[in-house]
Amino acid sequence: MSSSTLIPTAEYSAPDLKETHKFDVGNGDHSTDGQTTQISDIVINAGGEDRDKPSEAKDTPLGHLRAKLTTLQDQVNVFLTERMKQDKSKNAQKEEEDIERRILDDGVDEDDSD
Amino acid sequence: MTVDLDKYAKPGKDHYIALGLEGSANKLGVGVIRHNLGQLSSNNRAQVLSNVRDTYITPPGEGFLPRDTARHHRNWVVRIIKRALIDAKIKGTDIDCICFTQGPGMGAPLQSVVIAARTLAQLWGDIPLVGVNHCIGHIEMGREITGADNPVVLYVSGGNTQVIAYSKQRYRIFGETLDIAIGNCLDRFARTLKIPNEPAPGYNIEQMAKKGKHLINLPYTVKGMDLSMSGILGYIDQLAKEMFGKQAKKVVDETTGEPITAEDLCFSLQEILFSMLVEITERALAHVNSNQVLIVGGVGSNERLQEMMKLMIQDRKNGQIYATDERFCIDNGIMIAHAGLLSYRTGQTNDIKDTVCTQRFRTDEVFIKWRDD
Repeated sequence: MSSSTLIPTAEYSAPDLKETHKFDVGNGDHSTDGQTTQISDIVINAGGEDRDKPSEAKDTPLGHLRAKLTTLQDQVNVFLTERMKQDKSKNAQKEEEDIERRILDDGVDEDDSD
Repeated sequence: MTVDLDKYAKPGKDHYIALGLEGSANKLGVGVIRHNLGQLSSNNRAQVLSNVRDTYITPPGEGFLPRDTARHHRNWVVRIIKRALIDAKIKGTDIDCICFTQGPGMGAPLQSVVIAARTLAQLWGDIPLVGVNHCIGHIEMGREITGADNPVVLYVSGGNTQVIAYSKQRYRIFGETLDIAIGNCLDRFARTLKIPNEPAPGYNIEQMAKKGKHLINLPYTVKGMDLSMSGILGYIDQLAKEMFGKQAKKVVDETTGEPITAEDLCFSLQEILFSMLVEITERALAHVNSNQVLIVGGVGSNERLQEMMKLMIQDRKNGQIYATDERFCIDNGIMIAHAGLLSYRTGQTNDIKDTVCTQRFRTDEVFIKWRDD
């Protein structure tokens, strides 16, 4: 691979996924100003300003790699956040089922019986 | 006998150069230090080639969150390193070792900075990495700058409060906080009063305290050699909220009947906390039969603390106090470079797989191979 086309990639696999998830940065406009790496709302809402923006990518192979890497980071962050949400909702569902089971099957919580 | 510090010197070179990266809290610091061959002494001092720092500042009333602090470090680290190299007039390849803070500190900021260290080490052609304990960095830099050879060290900062003395190749902790650090106590009170965080909340409290003249009653909580500060903070926080909140409670000085102000609260908090520090430091001096005190850490730049410590030490025979200014007191990269270089000169470096940072890393875990007195 020539140095002018440095392309970062990432793969994610987990026991519950049938296939390895592959991330592809694509051809879109890339910038170092990532969607998922912005300053917290808490700071902005408290009247703060963002003095720590990343510097812009230079027009060099390494500069382009930086911008693409930011896109890749965004994709990974979005993907993992989504998975965490799913995990959460699965757990919440399980808990609800549990309550139902306890009420219907046992009538009372076992812990309360003694 | 002294430790041979030149066993690992590169052939043909008469000096060492180390780069230090610090980012365990809200300061990002990069420093370059130079040691000439031979023992460090008053004729052969370490040379500070550059010492650049950038602080992450939050709006009044807000502390610094790990995520945003890490973001600050990530987005500035390359620019700050470049500036440090230009100041030092060196190239990456002139460097013998790259030193980074391995802990203690906040996880996310530590992680951001170590990534920069690892990347540079590989980019510049396999430069050895040296993980440094943040507290050891403060102690060694304090000793080097002040020339204090074997002091009792009072280490006071936003995340740490310890009284330390050296014995048998360890810096041993004689007393410490049982809950929050002194800087944390002051910073959080600054947040309650909505004092600006620029340049530093502690500095602004110090300035307000200079205008205070009434000492209010606060709990005094020394527990043996240790101290506790969360109760004091809770007490004064509550009082401040009553005085400056909806209640607008009027509090007056018991003897003069004059109203108590925010300045009086800052003054009282400083006086009580610093008295507690002076008490345990004095006791540590008696324990180890020393007459030198070295104050390091961000809170160490507080002039009132230095003054109170001086009053105590003057009563001891040949008592001496050593303190540094904000360049070396407040977290910085040069202290990491210095302590890391000492480590490197005794053959202690980290393989890449051993460069993982840790939030908990006690001062006495470090083997001080470069001293054997």
